Amino acid sequence: MNMVRLDKQNLDNFIRELSAEYSVYAPGNTGGKTEFIPVESGDEIDFSRTVTDMSPKGIFFPPAEVLFEYDKDGVRAAQTSHRPIAVFGMRSCDARSLVMLDRVFGSAIQMPDDEKFQDPYWKEKYDSSLIFGFACNEPLSTCFCNWFSGGPYNRDGMDVSVVDAGDVYLMEPVSDKGIEIISKLSCLTDASEEDKALLEKMASDAESMMTAPLDVEGLGERLTALFDESIWDEISAKCVNCGACTFSCPTCHCFDMQDEGKGEKGKRVRIWDSCMLPIFTMEASGHNPRALSRDRVRQRVMHKYSYYPENYGEILCTGCGRCVMVCPVNLDIREVLKKFIAYNEQGK
Amino acid sequence: MANPYIPLQMKVQRIETEDPDRTLRTYDLTFVNESEKEAFNYLPGQFCEISILGKGESPFGIASSPTEKDYLRFTVNRTGSVTNDIHYLRNGDIIGMRGPLGNWYPVDDMKGMNVLIVGGGFAFTTLRSLLIYLLDSRDDYKDITVIYGARNPDLFIYKDEIAIWKQRDDIQFHLTIDNPVDGWTDKTGFVPTVTKEVSPGPDNAMAIVCGPPVMIKYTLPVLTELGFPDERIYTSLERRMKCGIGKCGRCNIGSKYICIDGPVFSMAELKNIPETV
Repeated sequence: MNMVRLDKQNLDNFIRELSAEYSVYAPGNTGGKTEFIPVESGDEIDFSRTVTDMSPKGIFFPPAEVLFEYDKDGVRAAQTSHRPIAVFGMRSCDARSLVMLDRVFGSAIQMPDDEKFQDPYWKEKYDSSLIFGFACNEPLSTCFCNWFSGGPYNRDGMDVSVVDAGDVYLMEPVSDKGIEIISKLSCLTDASEEDKALLEKMASDAESMMTAPLDVEGLGERLTALFDESIWDEISAKCVNCGACTFSCPTCHCFDMQDEGKGEKGKRVRIWDSCMLPIFTMEASGHNPRALSRDRVRQRVMHKYSYYPENYGEILCTGCGRCVMVCPVNLDIREVLKKFIAYNEQGK
Repeated sequence: MANPYIPLQMKVQRIETEDPDRTLRTYDLTFVNESEKEAFNYLPGQFCEISILGKGESPFGIASSPTEKDYLRFTVNRTGSVTNDIHYLRNGDIIGMRGPLGNWYPVDDMKGMNVLIVGGGFAFTTLRSLLIYLLDSRDDYKDITVIYGARNPDLFIYKDEIAIWKQRDDIQFHLTIDNPVDGWTDKTGFVPTVTKEVSPGPDNAMAIVCGPPVMIKYTLPVLTELGFPDERIYTSLERRMKCGIGKCGRCNIGSKYICIDGPVFSMAELKNIPETV
């Protein structure tokens, strides 16, 4: 299917039309911070920030989600049926993160068809979702999506790609679901040859604004080889283990399950957890397999750049740069990775 | 679709206190719903998450053998808030359970082989499951040797069964305690030392080791020294498993999740994983 255009004046109509069938989420401003919020009109959308403060993972994997409720009669799964979700304005990095998370929540690599390993709460929301991606015309200094085969105009994980081209949004379907929705919506018109040429130029301009990528070929193996080296002490020395990187990260997905109840009534809630926190792996006996800050920093780095790639063939980082922005002690993951690569090349 | 987070309802059928300090108790649970019992198939080495609603879940190795059809058995050390509440349970109480989770000891590969079982303290749970399973098809296996150690005589679990196993002439059963105690007639010394002393032959033999991390750490090299190849040494590891289905992210060692890739691993597998024991 061909490219279509949406006049920005028509954004409101577009969102309203989409809302008839979908619960629509888009970047919004919530008290000075930006995150993905449910919207019903175009006015509520805030595109002022290239990267939203909070990633969109919470739409499909909420910070707190009721798994079930219980009372004296037994346990009842939380009501999960709702309208399908459409997300408008998801950056390339974030759209890719959902593909990465789906590999974990959608199944287990060991038993891909076994329902016992499929997360019903994730699947119920993600499988029926519609992702309108949003290309980046002005990547930030913290952006490094191009390190990991991403890019400002990358379309992985999108159903429809959207480009801000001045007075119009240029849209192109990426998936079958995308083709279907584009053909259904009424406020779209066919794009011209000029539009296509413009989009190509904008894409190449955006890509040229990215800094040169680090060569991450073989990074996982390098990290494994350096597992016991003292470089981890050096890297983790300033980390305060606050977990801000993990909560802002679009691909971090560790969680805890906690019971909230009184007497015979209550619920079990899944909440975001963080491998940066000592209690994450603390056992009831007091034994902690990751007792030191170094152990925990190493776990996070290894999980993203070694363990997940070993299991799924792709690095678990989209280069969105949120961890770089939020870290209270300026621990920059890009510098960390550079150090590891340099350290190895010195033959240590 | 099936929801792996919803616990099954189980009824406490029998409670047995294992030690004089009453920190170790064994629970036999039965299924409230018969259809769930039919669907529940497991092998020795697997574990379950036991729920005390309002408190949370903790993982426990299954101590019964699948050949014991009437109940699921768990032995619980009172150490945290969930286990504390479990210790307050009474017969007839209903609790939640998810499982079976994880993999199992290679019982099929053991057929026709000599089996060495090395255990320590209250980690003998899944080893009991394994031992009962092997004994229920005794002819399928050759020599069975068990080395079981505890800090002192009180801390062995399943004492009545141990007395019976020791009487049998088709099991070599060695008990050991850390330090001498008056009236103790079995072995004295740490499990690795006793393993060396008993010196079971590695030929056509499989070794299964489960116990506290420090016991595993010092027993594995002894088995290697005795000539057991890495592919025929298995151990069961433990972390703070939570979801049990490879999602929540806390029980990994390297790229493996103990809750789905384990808890049973061969030495050969562990050698490729950093930071295991």
